[in-house]
Amino acid sequence: MLARGEITEIVGRPSSGRTSLLVDCLREATRGGGVAAVVDTDEAFDPSAAARAGVDLRRVLWVRCGGRRDVALRVADLLVRCPGFTVVGLDLGERPPRIPLTVAFRLRLAVRRSGSALLILASRRIAGPGATLAVQTIRRSLEWSGPRGAPTRLARVGIDVRVLRSRGPWHGRGEPGATRWWTA
Amino acid sequence: MSPPGSRVACLWVPFFAAAATERCEPPLAERALIVVRGAPPVTRVVEANAAGREAGVRPGMTESEARARCPDLISRMFCGEGIVSAQHALLEAALAVSPRVEDTAPGLVHADVDGLRRLFGDDGAVAEHLARQARAVGLPARVGVAGSRTVAGVAVRATGGRVVVVPPGGERATLATAPLAVLDLSAGIAATLARWGVRTLGELAALPRAGLAERLGPEGLRVHDLALGRDPDPFTPYAPPPFWEEAQDLDWEIADLEMLGAVLDRVLERLTARFGAAHVWADTLSLRLQLATGGRHERTIALAQPACERSVLATLVRCELATRPPAAAVTAVAVSARVVRVPPQPGRLGQPPAPRQRDLAALVARLTELVGSDNFGSPRLIDSHHPDAVLLVPFAPAEDLDSDGPRPSSSVVLRRMRPSPRVEVAIEDDRPVHVHWGSAVRRIVACAGPWRASGEWWDGRAWARDEWDLLLDDGTLCRLALDRRANQWFLDGIYD
Repeated sequence: MLARGEITEIVGRPSSGRTSLLVDCLREATRGGGVAAVVDTDEAFDPSAAARAGVDLRRVLWVRCGGRRDVALRVADLLVRCPGFTVVGLDLGERPPRIPLTVAFRLRLAVRRSGSALLILASRRIAGPGATLAVQTIRRSLEWSGPRGAPTRLARVGIDVRVLRSRGPWHGRGEPGATRWWTA
Repeated sequence: MSPPGSRVACLWVPFFAAAATERCEPPLAERALIVVRGAPPVTRVVEANAAGREAGVRPGMTESEARARCPDLISRMFCGEGIVSAQHALLEAALAVSPRVEDTAPGLVHADVDGLRRLFGDDGAVAEHLARQARAVGLPARVGVAGSRTVAGVAVRATGGRVVVVPPGGERATLATAPLAVLDLSAGIAATLARWGVRTLGELAALPRAGLAERLGPEGLRVHDLALGRDPDPFTPYAPPPFWEEAQDLDWEIADLEMLGAVLDRVLERLTARFGAAHVWADTLSLRLQLATGGRHERTIALAQPACERSVLATLVRCELATRPPAAAVTAVAVSARVVRVPPQPGRLGQPPAPRQRDLAALVARLTELVGSDNFGSPRLIDSHHPDAVLLVPFAPAEDLDSDGPRPSSSVVLRRMRPSPRVEVAIEDDRPVHVHWGSAVRRIVACAGPWRASGEWWDGRAWARDEWDLLLDDGTLCRLALDRRANQWFLDGIYD
């Protein structure tokens, strides 16, 4: 899913697997030797879960914005202008701001110059035609672990990734519509 | 005509020819300078800098007349290539702020700044940023922000400030008192309006439109549109050329390679300042020297690795000239670069390039300004079973890879809530059935737990909790935790 020099949007309902998909991309970037940044608007990023997922936290810059969406956008703008970041994840959470088209294209111009992949995570699409790829995550099924009738833990979740907009080749693993299982 | 609600910035560099000359030779800014045109000895003043104007020098004077008024005057010939380079530098400075930029005229650039408030702040902050970018490439631009290009241009010309912002709805008031001279009217129209007693744009706007059309024709309508603050032409976006060029004419012939190297240093300094503003690197350099014999000495230097540092490029150019020197003295130099947009640092073999130290230093300074020094860094897990046991350490990407061992499978991660909100939970048969969170009540469709954890009982910071994974009736998958010491429930986060 890492389309360098492009903007990718990940949208979906809560618990649909958006953040897991973002963390998956962070893992791909950091295990390949790249450097990643997470712009965390609502301070929702869980480093221990990311480490369990295989993210090399030594290569992650975590920026907490204290719920200020305008600051998050400024930080993202700053990061995509700094050459050397493989991925910049912008987590705007459940209340993403409206981004004017000018800003979206400005961000796209910046990521094209720096070669970073900008991943925007939000409940709905905000970058419009500025995004090269937009995907929606949909949770399909759940599995629990432990004794039948009294499970003790969430085991794994089946998630579909649906492509909403694509202006280039699919960079993700497997087919975009296939259900993938993620363990808890 | 700009759409309603749009915001446009006008970057205007007054006395652009003089400013472009000062950009090439910064020490001239402190002296009285004139830019002249024509064949010596009959050269006429095209423009003068601030010190020259103070001494009474005006455009159109002969150079002799200007020297009579100011004996210490320094003159430079008008250099078309220098003007073009300065205009490109101004455009690139604007492009560093907005992707939509219009090349209107020499020394005049418009930028669409609609929607940049979230990135830079209000219109004043955007204008200040544009002015700083222009100053970084050596041009003292004035910036005006308004609802249309015409109003922004009038505002920046009519007021003496470096930055001026016309608030939405304030266009008429700004135009009303502005003199007609700010519109660059043709001599005929200006004379006619002066004969009618029209002195300001407000008076011109008040004239009947049909009458103006009858008496002045299409030009009258255009002038009336301008007086009303309307843009007569659509916005034409500027696309940067593949080659970026900086040039300088020399007032004297240079045969010595050391002296030529010093001139090329200054040219490259201006070129690399433009690279820095646009975050690009040079892939290939082309050197063009005008010789006193009338010929040209042209060399192309293909860089082994993209570079943007002046010292690196200057060394390469000096080496090239030392290897293949020009056949005669040089009268003008031009350096053009093909720019690329890839980071120049290759990193370790097989690894993507990491941010450079100086870029990181600048980034850290800006992040400290935006979010505070406590809110960014590299997360480091603390050796504890306590949930969310993490601290932030200064960001310094590790060089070694942590890719040994089996490849972890994809995991569902938690979106944490910090601090964890307290919730009320209804229990039936030792299992939670409802969650009360604020005013919302959610039925629990499925649950798993309890997953018991405790720790640090040995040093007085003991904690003990039961964790439950829950599927709520609205489809949300979350984790609740019961603090067994305080007997209180908390919402740890939402699986996502």
